[in-house]
Amino acid sequence: MKLLIVEDEKALSDNIRAYLSRGDMVCETAFNFEEAQDKLLSFDYDIVLLDIMLPDGNGLNLLRLLKRLQPETGVLIISAKNALDDKVQGLELGADDYLTKPFHLPELNARLNSIFRRRKFQGHKILEFQEIKINTDTHDVFVGEASLVLTLKEYELLLFFVTNKNRVLTKQAIAEHLWGDNVDLLDSFDFVYQHIKNLRKKISAEGGADYIKTIYGLGYKFSSDQ
Amino acid sequence: MSLITKTTLFYLLVALLVFGIGGVVTFYLVQKEVQKETDFALRDNLREITEELAEGVPLDFLKRGKADIADLGPAPRDTFYSFADTLAPHPYLEGQMEPYRKVTAVQEVNGRYYRISITDVFIETDDIYDVVVDIMLRLFIILSVAMLFFGFLITGWLFRPFQKTLERIRSFNLKDQQVLDLPQTSTKEFRQLNAFIAQMAFKARKDYLALKEFSENASHEIQTPLAIARGKLELLLETPGLTDEQLNLVQSAQQNINKLSRLGNALLLLTRIENKEFAGNQAPADFSGITQHCLENFAELASLKGLGLSRHIEPGVQVIIDGALADILVANLVKNAIRHNIPGGWVEVKLDARSLLVRNSGPAPRVPSEQLFDRFQKSRQGDGSLGLGLAIVKKIAEANGFEVSHRFTEGAHEVEVVF
Repeated sequence: MKLLIVEDEKALSDNIRAYLSRGDMVCETAFNFEEAQDKLLSFDYDIVLLDIMLPDGNGLNLLRLLKRLQPETGVLIISAKNALDDKVQGLELGADDYLTKPFHLPELNARLNSIFRRRKFQGHKILEFQEIKINTDTHDVFVGEASLVLTLKEYELLLFFVTNKNRVLTKQAIAEHLWGDNVDLLDSFDFVYQHIKNLRKKISAEGGADYIKTIYGLGYKFSSDQ
Repeated sequence: MSLITKTTLFYLLVALLVFGIGGVVTFYLVQKEVQKETDFALRDNLREITEELAEGVPLDFLKRGKADIADLGPAPRDTFYSFADTLAPHPYLEGQMEPYRKVTAVQEVNGRYYRISITDVFIETDDIYDVVVDIMLRLFIILSVAMLFFGFLITGWLFRPFQKTLERIRSFNLKDQQVLDLPQTSTKEFRQLNAFIAQMAFKARKDYLALKEFSENASHEIQTPLAIARGKLELLLETPGLTDEQLNLVQSAQQNINKLSRLGNALLLLTRIENKEFAGNQAPADFSGITQHCLENFAELASLKGLGLSRHIEPGVQVIIDGALADILVANLVKNAIRHNIPGGWVEVKLDARSLLVRNSGPAPRVPSEQLFDRFQKSRQGDGSLGLGLAIVKKIAEANGFEVSHRFTEGAHEVEVVF
């Protein structure tokens, strides 16, 4: 997956790049409007990660340019402005998703993968991890040949794990992924544990291995390593 | 009382005083002059009679009218004349006495002495008094009318720049970009006033814009470093070989970053509501739909916490409010009801055309009801609550003219927003 990160804050851009490069993404960076414009005019990208507040221009104008040049490129807007206007306008202009700063990097990764699947695998949106298969179109999950009946939250949880395989996922990041901003209502993250317990149970019932590794006190990691 | 009325009344009061004193002075002056003139006329008369006596006009002929002449013979006497006031019967009005001025003289004419006394009608004091009062009163009335009329006219004209300035200030709006158009005037004081006001308005607008810009940028400026810090910690988590203790430290740091971020957003929201940034988007909103949608979002969280959630939502309730604020208002109330609850408790949401009522079981508040709406009022420390939820509810209610109140009765909290 080829990604262009348009973000004026170098440290943040470095974070994203370092995190995503550990997976299968090729990341390029642009730190201002000019640079981003040059790169968009010269190269093709699968997804553009776009900060709409740039020192020398509005990111929404880059979005317009991009949609004219490469309409099939996916766009994820990141902004510190939690402004509804920007969100609506961005999505109207053809952005695929919108993420407000500060975000969890696994969340960013999951969103990017989701956009990528929608954009690239026309009709074949099957995600595989060892014996687990996920059809992101129909939301069907298989362990080997057996179909797995999951609740919506369990499905979202499994998808989040698979897209962030081999990465440490804190309970907080998981909880925020599942319940959004209202996660602060949950006094503890026991609810995450409940969902994970159920998911584990369902997978092993169909003969699947337990890939959800617990990192004590912190979170989980989805990995086939022993 | 307006400035013009006050000055006019004051001037009239002064005029009344001047006319009063003026009347008294006039009265005495006129009285003195009248007496002087009467005496003058009497003396002329006396001289005339004396001359006629000298010419040999018969005495009886001269004893006409008010003159009384007596022949005193040739024996030498002192000659003199003196004036006196006297009363005599009125020539036409029966039984009424009238004041007269009388001159009595002893004169020597051709060696003989005569006593001559002449009386003349004397203008009465009360007549003079009446005339003076009449004149003064008329003058005062004329002056009052003129002063009122011209006073209001001239002062109105004189104060017009001031009135205009007042009008401009009254219609002054911080959010307008329009320049404050103050009237041109040749009056020095008004020019100074206008210059001062223009300067103040400019500064107020500048400060307002700066504040607005700051509160908007604050979010960006705070959230970006937070995003960076959070990212760094996530990268750190990926580092192999971290001990449990280290992982816990990272986890704790992350939670606090999260809290800081939420805090920034909540404070920014409060500022934006205070700055009336949402005031322009007020439109009839489907409050029933918004409430219904919000409850669906929270249903799972409520059930995860083991809370019963009941709702009585009247369909089709329309409220004039910015749509985003309506969402935030309902979400904050429901969130609050879920957070400050007891295990196995309940939440009840009621909506009708009059009000939105959120009731929930919960521990008794430790502060009075009205203080619950203050910023950073927390029931407990460290429960993840920012203590801004009800403050935001209050601000949104204020910005839209709603009444918001809290009651605690029979172990249940009740927050009501009356539209």
